[in-house]
Amino acid sequence: MVPAQWYLILAAGIFCIGLFGVLTRSDALYFLMSVELMMNAANVNFVAFSLYYGDLTGQVFALFVIALAAAEVAIGIGIILVLYRNFGDIDVTVPTEMRW
Amino acid sequence: MVDAFAYVPAVVLLPFFSFLVALGAGKYLPKGGAFGGIAATAGSFLLSLWIATAVAGGRAYNETLYTWAAGDQFELTFGALIDPLSALMLVIVTLVALLVHVFSLGYMNDEGETGLPRYYAGLGLFTASMLGFVVADNLLMAFMFFELVGLCSYLLIGFHFREPGPPSAAKKAFLVTRFGDYFFLVGVVAVFATFGTAAFAGEGSFPALAEAALAGSGDVWTPGGLELQTWLTVVGLLVLGGVVGKSAQFPLHTWLPDAMEGPTPVSALIHAATMVAAGVYLVARMYGFYVLTPTTLAVIAFIGGFTALFAATMGVVKDELKQVLAYSTISQYGYMMLALGAGGYVAAVFHLTTHAFFKALLFLGAGSVIIAMHHNEDMWDMGGLKAKMPVTYYTFLAGSLALAGIFPFAGFWSKDEILYEALVHGLNEPLLLGGYLMGLLAVPVTAFYTFRMVFLTFHGEPRSATARDPEPVRWNVKGPLSVLGTLAVVTGFINMVPVQKVLGLEGIDYLHRWLDNEWGGIEGLSSHHYADLGPYSSGYIAGGEVPTVLVGAAVSLGLALAGLGLAWRLYNVASPTEHTAKLGGIKDVLYNNYYLDELQVWIAYRTEDVAGGADTFDQGIIDGVVNGVSSVSLLGGSRVRRIQTGLVTQYAAMLTLGLIALLVLLGVNGGWFL
Amino acid sequence: MILEALIGFTFLAALVVLLAPNAWAGRLAFALSAVPFAGSLYLWSQFDAVGNALTGGTIAFESRYEWVEVGGRTVSWFVGLDGISLPLVVLTTFLVPLAILSAWTPVDSRQSQFYGLMLFMEANLLGVFTALDFFLWFVFWEAVLVPMYFLIGIWGGPRRKYAAIKFFVYTNAASLLMFIGFMSLTFALGDSIGSLALPEITQALADGGLETWFGISPGRMAMIAFLAMFAGFAVKVPIVPVHTWLPDAHVEAPTPVSVLLAGVLLKMGTYALLRFNFTMLPEQASTLAIPIAAIAVISVIYGAMLALAQKDLKRIVAYSSVSSMGYVLLGLVVFTEYGVGGATFQMVAHGLISGLMFMAVGVVYNATHTRMVGDMAGMADRMPVTVGILVAGAFGYMGLPLMAGFAGEFFIFVGAFGAPSLPYAPVFTALAMFGIVIVAGYLLSAMQKTLFGPFRLETDYEIGPAPFHDVAPLAVLLAAIIVLGVAPDIFFEMIRDAAMPVVEGVSVDV
Repeated sequence: MVPAQWYLILAAGIFCIGLFGVLTRSDALYFLMSVELMMNAANVNFVAFSLYYGDLTGQVFALFVIALAAAEVAIGIGIILVLYRNFGDIDVTVPTEMRW
Repeated sequence: MVDAFAYVPAVVLLPFFSFLVALGAGKYLPKGGAFGGIAATAGSFLLSLWIATAVAGGRAYNETLYTWAAGDQFELTFGALIDPLSALMLVIVTLVALLVHVFSLGYMNDEGETGLPRYYAGLGLFTASMLGFVVADNLLMAFMFFELVGLCSYLLIGFHFREPGPPSAAKKAFLVTRFGDYFFLVGVVAVFATFGTAAFAGEGSFPALAEAALAGSGDVWTPGGLELQTWLTVVGLLVLGGVVGKSAQFPLHTWLPDAMEGPTPVSALIHAATMVAAGVYLVARMYGFYVLTPTTLAVIAFIGGFTALFAATMGVVKDELKQVLAYSTISQYGYMMLALGAGGYVAAVFHLTTHAFFKALLFLGAGSVIIAMHHNEDMWDMGGLKAKMPVTYYTFLAGSLALAGIFPFAGFWSKDEILYEALVHGLNEPLLLGGYLMGLLAVPVTAFYTFRMVFLTFHGEPRSATARDPEPVRWNVKGPLSVLGTLAVVTGFINMVPVQKVLGLEGIDYLHRWLDNEWGGIEGLSSHHYADLGPYSSGYIAGGEVPTVLVGAAVSLGLALAGLGLAWRLYNVASPTEHTAKLGGIKDVLYNNYYLDELQVWIAYRTEDVAGGADTFDQGIIDGVVNGVSSVSLLGGSRVRRIQTGLVTQYAAMLTLGLIALLVLLGVNGGWFL
Repeated sequence: MILEALIGFTFLAALVVLLAPNAWAGRLAFALSAVPFAGSLYLWSQFDAVGNALTGGTIAFESRYEWVEVGGRTVSWFVGLDGISLPLVVLTTFLVPLAILSAWTPVDSRQSQFYGLMLFMEANLLGVFTALDFFLWFVFWEAVLVPMYFLIGIWGGPRRKYAAIKFFVYTNAASLLMFIGFMSLTFALGDSIGSLALPEITQALADGGLETWFGISPGRMAMIAFLAMFAGFAVKVPIVPVHTWLPDAHVEAPTPVSVLLAGVLLKMGTYALLRFNFTMLPEQASTLAIPIAAIAVISVIYGAMLALAQKDLKRIVAYSSVSSMGYVLLGLVVFTEYGVGGATFQMVAHGLISGLMFMAVGVVYNATHTRMVGDMAGMADRMPVTVGILVAGAFGYMGLPLMAGFAGEFFIFVGAFGAPSLPYAPVFTALAMFGIVIVAGYLLSAMQKTLFGPFRLETDYEIGPAPFHDVAPLAVLLAAIIVLGVAPDIFFEMIRDAAMPVVEGVSVDV
């Protein structure tokens, strides 16, 4: 069996890629994708630990996260549409109306 | 038989009801409620006479009537104390009040004044308060009515509130007396703290307790281990503060001349005969306490003597009739204080009595002149009124002779006795002798300004159109004048001590016998008792009592006649001129009352400056700190919120940084990096 | 149950008035507010408590229901009255109808909300004076602020927002301080109390139930709690130097609100000082007697000096309230029968007199639309009755005998002068008494300038006598002041009874 730390390293790598995306990109769609990546990193962890402990709860959680991610994309795309409609762009650095 | 003393509360309450009636229904009543006031004061007067007869019948009254606050620590009560002193004072106050009410019909109603219900309400409340003060059986009750009297004085001085002058004078009167009353109130509180009671008479009264404590047979509280004698002196001086304020003694006398802004009957009732007498009466009332502290007595005598002379000098240069009378009032109360300080308890009460009558007479006479002169008070516009208004003239003359102390008018007897007491006791007491000399010096000055006033007003040629054709006055003016005129002549005969001493007659010093409880009274409240307690011993000049009496009387009468003579020479001419210019620079000083009013105004302004400074401090510093805290919070908030840039990426970065920081922290604590 | 009925009815009345149409909200509120007054008179007639409610005396109309238990402490609905709280309850229910009556003329918008909030405040005030459980008391205490905030903030003068926020934040921050102080005290009491009932806490403190808590020794704990609570209540009273919210709040608040603010809300502070600081921690109070007395004297003199400098009639009365509250503090700290009793009496007396003054100034303001001393003169010519009562009220403020103010002040002075527990008591008392001269100074000169002299005021309309419903509450208040001044024992007797146990909390070696 592949040792658990390999999965964790994989998950950490995916998470960092996602985080990197969030921090460097300003396009809302890239944002959304990066967030998906980070969630999937969590999913990998869930599944890995599920396997490691021989408990199915983790896999169930992974399924939940996938379902949630789908819902989140739906809302996220909606927000992006509104952004585009109001600002003519989907650059997240443009709308700063809510600051102080 | 019905007990006269059961009606003591009625004496006080009758005028109070007239106050209520005049206030509530005065405008629906004829004469603005005057008859209610007359009926009430007449009723009080008759009851007072009855009470005085009961005292003459050998009885006295000292009862607690109402418990104001029944604490365990102190019991604060109202009661009535009727002894020869208060019975005498009751008669004086009610009689003068009655006559003033009648006179007011002429002075206020006939002159078409508005606001009469308010006027009669004020008079009623004043009479009630004054009577309450007179019958008070303890210091607290006395203080309370003392203050109410001050309120009435305020209301009546400011009667013509639509003009600028009277409200200002009213304010000044209340404020200056309030300043004195502050010390009085501290004194009252101190008496309670020291003795646990403020009763005037009886076994457990504070003078009795003080006497016992000084004799070593009793224990009273003193603050901070102060010596008993010192503390009692302090208490006595504190109470004296109120006396100095109300009886218009130096340096709190400045309100009284201003108080002449009030209607003239009010001046007669309040600022001459009764309220101003309250201070002197209070000292007489608790004389058993004052005689225990020689320092206080000396201070009283010195203040009195000084005020007598000081006020008399200012009376010399005044142009207005009522102003002269105002300064003479201050001066005469100075004499009473001198008497009290000199151990002349009876002499003071005697002068209080005679002065009440002749000064009320003079003020009412002045009121009559003012009616005639259409409210012009300047004596230089008068002259020659003698022929036009004989009743006023002769009564006024009787009052003036009494004031000047000319034999055999009332003032002579009482003033002579005061000076005699001050002399015989002062021979062994230098401070007292100083008071005596000032009192003696004031005699010719008094005679001079009194007759300057008489001559300017009534003699010579009329100096204005109104003086040539004065308005006539009616019975309601002449009646009171005649009654008081008679009294000004005869009151002196109740106490002819010099005659008794010189001729060796026994028992014609009725007032002495009256105040010595010879007919009736309360143990411990007699002139005899006070004399025993007092610190003074008598000394005589020219070898013995009789020569001293004769020399003293001759000197004071001679000085009075000299003053009269000078006034005669200068002012009893057809068209007199001002001779005050001869005084040179002194005239300005006298005319401006030694600049004491300016001094008080200066103090008032400086107080306002301090208040303004306090306000600036309050708004700037104290409130500034409060607002500063608020500004700092707001400023801090506005700075910190700039973190909220609105850029999502920055939020995410901060989130990440936070996470890393947390991890590092945990790592360091957990020893991962070791 | 009667106290619940009283408070509940008032809450209900507030709700009813809030929903009533504006047109007759004022009349309805007046009618409804008369009921609690009648109720409090009934309470007075049935009053049978002996001693102080906190120190084991019998409590009148006691009613107690357990509510919740938190951390081993029972919180309960616990109300009752003793000789200290009953006069304040009567004062509150007496002033509210009069204040409502005085609002008829000046309040001309959103009436139903205004009167609803007034009644809501009354209900909470009644709660403050009757609650005997700390938690319950604190809820009412804080809830009073809310209607007050809106009453000043909506119906106030031009700077109403500033004043309302300042009032709210200042007093609320102070409450927090007090809350921390008191709660740490209850924690330090540990197992010696099983509830937050005030009598139990007082008893436990008197029995020495304080334990070392977080390394803080009992003596230090008590002192910290005393100081925190003193600071917290001092703002409410207010005492110099934490008084500056008061003039701003008074100047901006509409007349009827000022009446309640000065008449009742300030008494919450002194009432709480008496209940908490001076009843529960008497030893600390007497340790700190000299600084507290000094603060009291400074409040009296400094407040009076500030009043002397003011030009706005309302500001004058506001600062003189600061001055009068200094007397109350002096009375409390001396721990004598007349001192503590007089302080409580002065709370009632000052409530009536300052209420009267604010109301009378308000009636003049209704006609003139200015309160500045220099703007008008000779008002006595146009409004004789109002001015007459105003003058009488001013003399009451100056401590004229046979009016309630004199009684309160004299009791305090006579109790304070020879007080054994306060060093230099005569000096402090004599200094504080000088306030009676300054108060006469500023009130007399303000009256002389505004009320007397030739009439002068620039208006384009005729100024006449005030309407009956404006003058009637003034007359009623004046009558109450005189009655209380002539016969102070109608309250003072029960106050003394309840104050004695507090006094006995301090043992003095004479």
